[in-house]
Amino acid sequence: MSTPDDELLPELDLRLTQENLDDLYEHAPCGYCSCLPDGTLVKLNHTLLSWLGYERPELVARRCLQQLFTVGGRLHYETHCVPLLLVRGQVRELSYSLRRKNGTTLPVLMNAQLVRDSNEQPLVVRVTLFDITERRKYEQELLRAKAQAEEQREQLARVNEQLTSKNEQLTRINSDLDNFVYTASHDLKQPIENMAGLFQELRRTVTFHDPEAAEMVSMFTQALQQILTTIKGLTEVVQLQRQLEQVPLEVVALQPFTEEIIGSLQQVNGQNAAFTLDFAAAPTVCMARPGLHSMLYNLLSNGLKYAEPGRPPHIRVSTTAADDATILSVQDNGRGIDLSRHGRQLFQLFRRFHPEVVGSGMGLYLVNRLAHQAGGRVEVDSTVGQGTTFRVYLPRHAASQPA
Amino acid sequence: MDVLTRNNVSISGVGAQAMVFVHGFGCDQRMWRLVAPAYEARYQIVLLDLVGAGSSDLTAYEPGRYDSLRAHAEDVLAVLAALNLREVIFVGHSVSAMIGVLAAVQEPARIGRLVLVAPSPRFLNDTNYFGGFEPADIEELLQAMDDNYLGWSGAITPVIMGRPDRPELTAELNASFCRTDPTIARHFARVTFLSDNRADLALVPAPTLVLQCAHDALAPLAVGIYLHHQLPVNELVVLNTSGHCPHLSAPAATIRAIDHFLQGAASIPES
Repeated sequence: MSTPDDELLPELDLRLTQENLDDLYEHAPCGYCSCLPDGTLVKLNHTLLSWLGYERPELVARRCLQQLFTVGGRLHYETHCVPLLLVRGQVRELSYSLRRKNGTTLPVLMNAQLVRDSNEQPLVVRVTLFDITERRKYEQELLRAKAQAEEQREQLARVNEQLTSKNEQLTRINSDLDNFVYTASHDLKQPIENMAGLFQELRRTVTFHDPEAAEMVSMFTQALQQILTTIKGLTEVVQLQRQLEQVPLEVVALQPFTEEIIGSLQQVNGQNAAFTLDFAAAPTVCMARPGLHSMLYNLLSNGLKYAEPGRPPHIRVSTTAADDATILSVQDNGRGIDLSRHGRQLFQLFRRFHPEVVGSGMGLYLVNRLAHQAGGRVEVDSTVGQGTTFRVYLPRHAASQPA
Repeated sequence: MDVLTRNNVSISGVGAQAMVFVHGFGCDQRMWRLVAPAYEARYQIVLLDLVGAGSSDLTAYEPGRYDSLRAHAEDVLAVLAALNLREVIFVGHSVSAMIGVLAAVQEPARIGRLVLVAPSPRFLNDTNYFGGFEPADIEELLQAMDDNYLGWSGAITPVIMGRPDRPELTAELNASFCRTDPTIARHFARVTFLSDNRADLALVPAPTLVLQCAHDALAPLAVGIYLHHQLPVNELVVLNTSGHCPHLSAPAATIRAIDHFLQGAASIPES
């Protein structure tokens, strides 16, 4: 019966209704076969026979479906496919390779259905096979890529393991070095202080007649002083390190903390320095208090110490919030550093770039070390004669984020 | 995790003696559905999945441990110990026939009788031994398994999250029959098809039934006859069926043969 909808459909080519079912079976664009439950071939279509290169009488009743597979496929068929067929009544998309009469293989995808008789006994297995030559190539590519990815993952894991052990080794060496420095500075301190005392005594009791003696005595005193300063600095580095290992991280409000440091600096230097503080973008950082103190103290006192002669120092301390870090900047208008010459040595212990100013060569080493220990880093911009900006990147911890 | 969960043990039936059914390579405990129910009236029925198969705990499959069938035999013995079972009738298919052999040798008190369904102590040919396969054939099987990678893994998720207490998953579990993690299947295939348990046969103290299929590409008749000669106390029955799974292709004949063995077992002289 035709409905109004049908009338809208295009007229069918009447030759289609004459589609011959036998011809459809024999020349279908896929392989068909039917087998007994044990696999014995009963019926095959022309497409499958032409794929295989066999004549019908060579196969029907003489060969089993699984005998057309390669050995591996046959094992898979017997152990996996047969149980599935007998229990579930069907299998879908099993991938096998057919062995042609001439020995070559053809990759196929197999669907099969078990038909049972009226007594529920297995009667026949209907099998459809699809040529998947191209698809098999892609699949093999995929599997190769997968194997490669797995291999790389394993490699990565191995490298990671090596890195971890290297890291542990370095940590151990570092701590040994700290111990060494501490012991050395401690052991040197006593004899040097003895020397200073003895020299003082010597100056008091001995008269030098050589006119150059006075200058040499003063140089000797200076040299002694320098050694003592260095030893003191070394001891401080190690002590600070030990202290940091015991002090917890905490959220520190920068405004009062910085003001306090500035207060103590002005008491010592009494300069007419100007300070600008701007912590609006990130008012707190999460760090161990002594570490932050040492870091800010060194950066600020550097700003004062290395002021351009004849120009009152102006130091700006501020924060900016980056994606995952708080950036603490200390900008001065001092004499600047030639980074193209000294950049690589900037944070090394005892490196000094302005010999005309008194210093220990410890400050920036400490600042850098403290930033690294906090999981961050230090960047520096500088123009000789104009000033320097230090930017300390401190990773943001959940606790330091504004509520 | 306790071993009963690890091996997805299910128990049914009534009887003083227990029958333990263990599936072969490529499938799981559900392949016994045409045979095991026949014994529920007379025996306590214990079904399990080998670790790595079916709804067992796949995370327990450590390739290092399961590098030999012995680990699976130990698993079976652990299940029997957990259930406090002794002198059970162990029915093992294919690779699990050899797992049963190993278990019976290791703890004779646990296993009273052995039923080996389509067994093979060694698949590879050797000097004076016909197993049916060359090493290249096994390599080809592993290749075929790689090609069926998605076929094995298609229903991997429901197997992993297999929850018998959630009926909405039952349909999916049903669809997952005989599917498992492709990597495990590949490893298990290697262990299965490269194992050699010929030396263990002479040590089996339990009366044994060898159920041989007349036309089995995996365990040819010659292998059944070899087993018959090697096992101390045994009975060989050749079932007139094709393929490697007589408990599925000829369940009635399989049950008859086992029944006959169990009835006659009393008359087998204990050595």
